[in-house]
Amino acid sequence: MNSNFIGVKTPRKDALAKVTGREKYAYDIYLPGMLYARVLKSPYPHARVKKIDVSRAVEMGAIVITFKDVPDVMFNPRLISTPDTTYKDWRVLTDNPRYIGEPIAAVAAESEELAQRALESIEVEYEVLEPVLDPIEAMEEGKPKIHEKIMLGNREIVVERNIACRLEIQEGDVEEAFRNSDLIIERTFKTNKCYHNQLEPKVAVVNPEPDGGLTIWCTTQSIHNTRLLISEIFSIPVSRINVKRLPIGGSFGSSIQTNIVVPIAVALALKARRPVRLAYTKEEDMYEHSSFQMIFKFKIGVRKDGKLTGGYMENIMDIGAHQIQAYPLLGTCAGWWVSLYKLQAVKYVGVAVYTNKIPACAYRGYGNPQVTWAVETIMDEIAEILNIDPIELRLKNYVGEGDIFWGQGPTVKSIIKSCGVEEILRKGAELIGWKNRPRPGEQKGRFRRGVGMARGYHTSSAGSPIPGQVIDYTGAILKVNEDGSVDYITAMVDQGGGTLEAHAKIIAEELCIPLEKVNIVQADTQTTIYDVCTHASRGVYAGGGAALNAAKQVKKKLLELAARVLDAYPHTLKIRYDKEKKQGVIYVEGADGREITIGELATLARVKNWGTIAAVETYRPPACPPHFTGYFVEVLVDTETGIVKPTRVVIGADVGRVINPDLAEGQLHGGFLMGWSRATIEDLKYSRETGDIECRGFITDYKMPTVMETPTEIQTFFVETFEPTGPFGAKGLGEGAQNPAIAAIANAIYNAIGVRFYELPITPEKILEKLKEKEKIELKIVEGV
Amino acid sequence: MSQNKNINLGYINLFNTHIIPVKFNYHAPQTLEEALNLLNKLKDKARVIAGGTDLIVDMKLRRKEPEHVVSLNKIRELDYITVDSLGVKIGAIVKLRKIEKEKIIRERFPALYEALKSMASIQVRNMGTMVGNICNASPAADTAPPLLIYNATLTAKSLNNERKIPIEEFFKAPGKTALKEDELVTEIFIPYPPQDSHSTFLKITRVGMDLSKVSIAVLTKFNGSIIEDIRIALGAVAPTPLRIRRAEEFLKNKPLTEENLKIVQEIVAKEIKPITDVRSTEWYRREVAKVLVKDALMKCLEEEGGR
Repeated sequence: MNSNFIGVKTPRKDALAKVTGREKYAYDIYLPGMLYARVLKSPYPHARVKKIDVSRAVEMGAIVITFKDVPDVMFNPRLISTPDTTYKDWRVLTDNPRYIGEPIAAVAAESEELAQRALESIEVEYEVLEPVLDPIEAMEEGKPKIHEKIMLGNREIVVERNIACRLEIQEGDVEEAFRNSDLIIERTFKTNKCYHNQLEPKVAVVNPEPDGGLTIWCTTQSIHNTRLLISEIFSIPVSRINVKRLPIGGSFGSSIQTNIVVPIAVALALKARRPVRLAYTKEEDMYEHSSFQMIFKFKIGVRKDGKLTGGYMENIMDIGAHQIQAYPLLGTCAGWWVSLYKLQAVKYVGVAVYTNKIPACAYRGYGNPQVTWAVETIMDEIAEILNIDPIELRLKNYVGEGDIFWGQGPTVKSIIKSCGVEEILRKGAELIGWKNRPRPGEQKGRFRRGVGMARGYHTSSAGSPIPGQVIDYTGAILKVNEDGSVDYITAMVDQGGGTLEAHAKIIAEELCIPLEKVNIVQADTQTTIYDVCTHASRGVYAGGGAALNAAKQVKKKLLELAARVLDAYPHTLKIRYDKEKKQGVIYVEGADGREITIGELATLARVKNWGTIAAVETYRPPACPPHFTGYFVEVLVDTETGIVKPTRVVIGADVGRVINPDLAEGQLHGGFLMGWSRATIEDLKYSRETGDIECRGFITDYKMPTVMETPTEIQTFFVETFEPTGPFGAKGLGEGAQNPAIAAIANAIYNAIGVRFYELPITPEKILEKLKEKEKIELKIVEGV
Repeated sequence: MSQNKNINLGYINLFNTHIIPVKFNYHAPQTLEEALNLLNKLKDKARVIAGGTDLIVDMKLRRKEPEHVVSLNKIRELDYITVDSLGVKIGAIVKLRKIEKEKIIRERFPALYEALKSMASIQVRNMGTMVGNICNASPAADTAPPLLIYNATLTAKSLNNERKIPIEEFFKAPGKTALKEDELVTEIFIPYPPQDSHSTFLKITRVGMDLSKVSIAVLTKFNGSIIEDIRIALGAVAPTPLRIRRAEEFLKNKPLTEENLKIVQEIVAKEIKPITDVRSTEWYRREVAKVLVKDALMKCLEEEGGR
């Protein structure tokens, strides 16, 4: 397909401001008369506040709020699920802290220093309660109760055995399927709790307006949900709250919910009647959000010919002290499993458990990287046992075109209409040299090479033909300016991946206008129509769909007006992109000279009082098409130190039509590094003695890969398909870019040393320990002991 | 379940890395004499700052809350690298990056060069100083093992006294040195290693920009196949960086055979006292210390062969 902008490398509109440091993030907002806020946090993992004395802080001139000063409203900071499936157990400030770091009180003062002093002057008397740090222990009878009563929608429910929520799914007869299997494989997997480590810590700047309303600048993935939540907690009319859309320094899911800094800053600003800025430090940020930790039990049946029969999956999730999205995650984990490979019968039991840890929230892939790690490990094991090529085994069983896909748990499904899985696997295998990979565990010597692969996918949006338990729609406003440029107005947040840039390209392509003539308007909740959130890899697919439809509406109106000028029929008119004029030109085919630029037309519309050419599009994505990826990783293991290095990586992706080749490739590079980090390095470990994270919030001791860990060779390729429901055939990419990475790395390590790991991360310490154990066993065998 | 009255802010409420949440007096003397006068007057109420890559972090995290901070950065007389026939002298405020870029360091003190190059990031090396790295007395200080094998000497000055401290006698415990409260390390002198000797530095970290799990510096001088001079120092495996004298004594005047290598590895594993912390475990540190000893010695042997 010939395109002016789609699939063409173009410089980003926000690049200049970003690389010169002039982009304004929430952290850069300073208002006259603004106060600086600090939050007093629980030093105990589980406690009750018996007495709190803030008098000295007040004497120092600080504005102080405690749990007594905030609305008595129980809420869930994430508003993406339908109300009847939303579990609520949060308060803005609490007298019953349930993790180290939970906010109890807050202060605001003239400077950060004064605020810090005021904070330190607060005296709190705690009753220290016994914490529970392990999800299995937490479910035992007689363990301390972390929550007594919580809300499900508007209904109060009693929490039993610290179980936050559960979900069971059964389709077909699993026992029958197992009976019809030649091989049944059972495995337990434990994943790591990870910190998002997005570049920008959470920030909120709140200005109380004279009418009792609020203007809010904050780190968020959803300006409209932030507005709705603040309205819900503080009983302020929605129309009086205005949340600004800002660039954010990444999130990886950590601002899918309204971060706690926002309601705290709001409460302080309402009390102070002055603007308040609450910016978390990097260390505080680590105590604000992290990923879920999961323990999976899998039982998978397979026939001798490699055809999978049925499966059982148990998923026990450590969700930390509060629910953000435990229930929907129970659903998606099941979905990620059943949408990888076809099973005739499945049984799933998911249990989300409270512990006295940092609340867990969405983290790039929303359970998919973890589930894929487990399933792709099992697939590798099956392939080895049955002596089938791992790639052939996958091709024999994968869920592909024409199959049903679970995009966001059991209530969000659609039929797959574009699928490049086979080509990804065939081409990837060729590029990595799959046929020449070592045989597992057969190498000798200190340094051993391993090649592993894994495949995966992620949904693009939570759209589907029918409404489910997940809200997913978006909107776009487009207006044509007098010079032929257009203003594009959307509530959708660009997390830094270039989502809005992709929308601009889609609009430019449809209207045949130069990319620089698409102006992405700085917007807020009062000037935009609703968008749910930038999550679920829906930015390009759903947001781009809205942008395209708005552009189509505008195009129709342009043609109608042009028809008057050109004395032709609107449906016969064409538009072309004129590079010299830097304009879109509407013309009559075959009639020389009958043409007008969009700029001329818009100017004429003004002079003749025809009105503004504009469109409003509210858009529900009709499907949740998966984008597919395949990872091929080569590693080198030093068997004397346990250190693993990635030496070569090949990543293939089917994202439908590629909109931005450079940015798409960047997602894959980043996806690998993040996967490498989750597979081999990151672990937010808790100390049982202190109930605190061992690194205590310091990234000095929460390591992530640097450029030195980056393999010199990362090769990426795109298998272009055309997704009929996507804008210009496009699907998402952000999460699928990473999802199979952990699995491929783990399989590569196995290939090198012949040892499997069922617990993440796979650190040098663990590798060396296993190798030493294996050495001892082999020695005994040799010696005949 | 305890009912005790508990008024505890917890460290979590004391950290604030947006600011330095500590009240202190800042001094920026122009001359060494002024600085020594200040230290003489302020004694343990003062902390000395050069690069600040350790002290500022400690102050932000409230590990240290000094009443006075004395900066050495305006004292130009401490900013020098001089080379003479005996060795190299490095002043107290010379940046790590500057030392790393010095030709003589790369050519004559390869273990120190490798250590410097491996430290933190270029940005941090542009701030930090080697004297600071030593005076901070972290068991994991990367410049310590090389300075130990090169037998460096520190010059400590107070208002009324000057003394030389061999580096091996300098480290006392994590964060503790032989320095008195009114003393400043003004210079590090590193004598040239023996002619035809080889030295190297290796370390194991979690990721590229990181403190060591284990670090090692080794110096060898061979006479044919016999080891004539041998020095081995390790970091991050004991309360202080340390020379492994017993291993050195064992290897001296012996060839580097596979068997001898194994014995040296065992001696090193016995001599070190690693701990389990957030970076690694005691067991792992002991295991890889053995590997590093072997790797470092083999590297020196290879250089000897290629000479």
